[in-house]
Amino acid sequence: MNRFLQRLYDICGALAGGLILCICVLISAQIILNGFGRILPGALPSTIPSYADFSGYMLAGATFLALAHTLRSGGHIRVNLVISRFRPAVQVWFEAFALLISIGLIGYAAWFMASLVLESLHYGDVSTGIIPVSLWIPQSVAAFGIALLWVAVVHTLADLIRTRAPVLSTPDEV
Amino acid sequence: ESWDMPTPYGDSTFHTQNIIQFADDVRAATDGGLDITIHSAGSLFPHSEIKSAVRNRSVPIGEFFLSTLSNEDLAFGIDSQPFVATSYEDAAKLWEAQRPVITELLAEQGLMPLFSVPWPAQGLYTNGEIATVEDLNGLRFRAYNAALEEFAALAGAAPVQIEASDIPQAFATGQVAAMITSPSTGVNSTAWDFVTHYTPINAWVPKNIVVVNQRVFDGLDADTQAAVLDAAMTAQARGWEMSAAEATDMTAALAENGITVYEPSEELVTGLRAIGATMLETWNANASDSAKAVLEAYEN
Amino acid sequence: MSDPLIGLTLLGLLIALLACGVWVAVSLSLVGLAGLVFFSNAPSGLIIASTFWGHSHSWALTALPLFILMGEILLRSRMSDDMFTGLVPWLARAPGRLLHVNVFGCAIFAAVSGSSAATAATIGRMSVPELTKRGYPESLILGTLAGSATLGLLIPPSIILIVYGVATEQSIARLFIAGILPGLMLICLFAGYVAVRAWMNPTLIPPIDESFSFKQKIMASRRLLPVALLIGGVIGAIYGGLASPTDAAALGVVLASILAWASGSFSWALFGAAVMSATRTSCMIALILLGAAFLSVSMGFTGLPRNLAAWISDMGLSVTALLVVLTLFFVVLGCFLDGISVIVLTTSIIMPMITAVGIDPLWFGIYLVIVVEMSQITPPVGFNLFVIQGLTGIDILRIAKAAFPFFLLLLLGVVLITIFPQIVTVLPNMMSN
Ligand code: NA
Ligand code: NA
Repeated sequence: MNRFLQRLYDICGALAGGLILCICVLISAQIILNGFGRILPGALPSTIPSYADFSGYMLAGATFLALAHTLRSGGHIRVNLVISRFRPAVQVWFEAFALLISIGLIGYAAWFMASLVLESLHYGDVSTGIIPVSLWIPQSVAAFGIALLWVAVVHTLADLIRTRAPVLSTPDEV
Repeated sequence: ESWDMPTPYGDSTFHTQNIIQFADDVRAATDGGLDITIHSAGSLFPHSEIKSAVRNRSVPIGEFFLSTLSNEDLAFGIDSQPFVATSYEDAAKLWEAQRPVITELLAEQGLMPLFSVPWPAQGLYTNGEIATVEDLNGLRFRAYNAALEEFAALAGAAPVQIEASDIPQAFATGQVAAMITSPSTGVNSTAWDFVTHYTPINAWVPKNIVVVNQRVFDGLDADTQAAVLDAAMTAQARGWEMSAAEATDMTAALAENGITVYEPSEELVTGLRAIGATMLETWNANASDSAKAVLEAYEN
Repeated sequence: MSDPLIGLTLLGLLIALLACGVWVAVSLSLVGLAGLVFFSNAPSGLIIASTFWGHSHSWALTALPLFILMGEILLRSRMSDDMFTGLVPWLARAPGRLLHVNVFGCAIFAAVSGSSAATAATIGRMSVPELTKRGYPESLILGTLAGSATLGLLIPPSIILIVYGVATEQSIARLFIAGILPGLMLICLFAGYVAVRAWMNPTLIPPIDESFSFKQKIMASRRLLPVALLIGGVIGAIYGGLASPTDAAALGVVLASILAWASGSFSWALFGAAVMSATRTSCMIALILLGAAFLSVSMGFTGLPRNLAAWISDMGLSVTALLVVLTLFFVVLGCFLDGISVIVLTTSIIMPMITAVGIDPLWFGIYLVIVVEMSQITPPVGFNLFVIQGLTGIDILRIAKAAFPFFLLLLLGVVLITIFPQIVTVLPNMMSN
C-alpha cells in the first residue's frame, strides 16, 4: 500500500512535469509562427488558436497533479522555526495537529472541487476562447489532484502514528 | 439583506459608475432594506468565473461581458458579430430581439437578466489611414475571439492573439499593427502612445449584462423585487445614455490627444460590410434555433 | 464584533497556525475560511472551489514555472558556474564583490520577468549555492537576493503594474516607462548598501587574492557568453515583437537547454531532474498563491480592507499625512496579504482619495509598487521569503531578518520619490511631448 501510493504520487508528479514541458513546447511553437509571420507572411498559419487558454489549463493541471508529490518530498513550505525549539516528543504533537487540520481543510476543498466539476458537467460549461473547451475536463484533473493531496496528508499522518517521531520537520539546510 | 456584487471592470468605467448608481437607487428605494456592495475590477472573482459564481449562489448578482457566453449559444454573441448592428438604434433593436431568447437560455441556469448596457461602437485603430479593405492586407491584427479571427482572415490580415493587458507593448514592439476596439478602451489604454489613426467603422456594439440568481431574487419580498426591477430599468436607460455620451467624449479625447480621427471611406465600409455578410453566413450555418430566432426577430 | 477586533482575531489565528507549523498555503486558506464562515454570510465551500479553480489557470501565471525551469537548467549545467567564474575578475576590486551578482542579476532578469517570485527563484537557484560555496555571509546572500528580486515588479514588464493599470484605467505603457528610473534608483540603493557594508567591515566579504590583467579579464569573460546570449535572446524576442513577456519564458527554457547542451556537461538525466525540481517549486508557489487568493476573496466578502481604507479616507488628511498613513496601512496589510490582493481590494476606496487630494495616479502607481515590493519580504506572508525558503530550506523568519535592511531601503526609496516626484514623472512626460 505504502509503495503503491508513493508510486502514484510520483507518477502524477512526472505527469505534472510533462505538462510544464508541453506548455513550453506550445508557446515555443507560437513564437516560431510569429517569426515566420514576419519573414514569410502567409506561409504558415499565424496563430495556434486559444494557445493562452490551453497553456493556462495545462498549468492548472501541472499545479494540482504535483501537489501530493511535492508534499511527500517536503516541497510545501511551513514555518518550523518555532516548533523546532521543542523536544521531538512535543514536535510530534504539533505535527499531528498540523496534519489533522490540513486533512480537514483539504478534504473540504476537495469535496467542493468535486461539486464544481459536477456543476460544470451538469450545465455543459465551456471556455470562452476561440476553441471551446469543456471545463469539466481540466476541472476534474484539479479535483483529482486535491483529492490525492488529501490522501497524501492522511498517508503522512499514518507515518507519524507508526513512527512516533517527527516526519515533517527537517533541519535547516543550505 | 446585503448583497455582494462582483463586476469585471474598474471604478472609472462608466459601466461600473452606472452600477454604483443602480446600487444607490436600490438602497434608497428599499430604505436600506437591500444593500448591494460593488466589488469592481474583478476583485472578488475573475471575469470568467462571475457567471458561475452567481449561478451557484456564491454571490446573488453579478456583471459580465455578454458575448463571452457565445460558445454556449451563438444567441449570446450576436451583438459581437461584425456589421449586424452598428448604431445605438440598431443595437437597441437587437437587444429587444435578444432579450426574450437569452432570458430563456439563462433561466435554464437559474439566472435572470436584469439589464444590459452597450459599450460604444467598435472602431479601427491603425498606423496610417485605411482607405479600403485591401489596405488591411498582411497587417498583423489583434484578434481575441473566434469572430475576430475569422474577420482578420477574411480581410487578408494576420490575426494575432493579444491579451488586453499586453496591447501597448504588442504595438510598441510591432507584434500587432491594427486592432478593433471601442473609443473608451482606446482612451484608457492611451492609444495615442502607439497608433496614429482611428476610424469609427462601428463594427459592432457589444454589451455587458447584469444577472441575478433567480432563487435569491424569488426570496425577496414583493416590494423589494419591484424596487430592484425598477432600478434595473432606470439603470438600463441611464447606461445607454452614458454609453452614447461616452462614445462622443472619448472619440473627441482621441482627437485631442493627437490621433487622426477620420470617417471611413465609402469603399472601406462596403468592403467591411461584404466581410460581415460572409461571416453572417458562417454564423447562420452554426447557429442554434434560438440564435436564428434572435436574428429573425431583429431583421423583421 | 467590530472591524478592528475581527482583523486582530484573524491575524492572531494566522500567526498561531503558522507558528504551529501548519503549511503556509493551508494556514492562509484556513484564515480565509474562518473569515467567510464567521464574519460573512457567503457560502464558503463553493467559494473556495471557484477561487482555487479560477486562479489556477491564468495566462500571466504560466511564465512562473517556465522561468523556474530555466533557473534549474542553468544551475545544473556548467553555465551558472561559468557565469560566476567569468565575473570574478571584473568584480574582484568592487566593494562587496560577487554579492553584486544578486543585485544586478535580479535587475537584468527583472527586465525579462514580470514577477518578483520568478526573479527570486531563477537568480537564487544559481547564486545562493555559488555564493555560499565561495564563503559569502548568509545574511547578505539572502538579503540581497530577497531585496533585489522585488525589482521584478518595478522594472517593466510587471504584472502588478498591469493589474494597477487595468483597475484604475491608467496607461500601462506609461506606467512601464515610469517604473524605469525608480527601478534604477533602487538598484543604486541596493548596490550602495552592499558596498557600504563591505567597506565598513572588510572581513565580511571573502577576498579574491589573484589579480587579473586586462587580457585575463577578457579571456575569463568568454565564459559569460552563453548567459549573455540567453539574456540577449530573451530580451531581444520581447522587444523585437516576437514574444510577449509570458512567451519569452518559454523561449528562455529552450535557449537555456540548447546552450546547456552546447556547453557540454548536460544530460537527459540532469534535464529530468531540472524539470521535476521546477515542478515542485512552482507547485509550492502556486498552492500558496491559491491560498492567498482565497484569503483575499474572503477579505473582500468581510469588507475589512475596504472599511479600513474608508476609515483612513474619513480622516481628511493632508497629502503628506495621507501618504504617511497609507504607507503604514499598506505595510501592515502587506504583511498578511500578497501585493496584488492589496491593490485590488483597496483601489476602489483609495483612488478617489488620491485624486481628491491631487496626487498623480501615475506616480501613485509606482509608489504602490514599491510599497508592494516591501510586502514581498515582510513575514509572515512574503512571497520572496517563501520562494527562498523553498530553494534553501532556511526558515522564512531568518530570511526576513536578512532582508530587513532592504525593507528599509525600499522605504527610503518611497521617501525619495515623494520628495522628488520627477524621478517617476520625467520619462512618461518626455514620452507625451
Ligand atoms: Na519586471
Ligand atoms: Na508580506
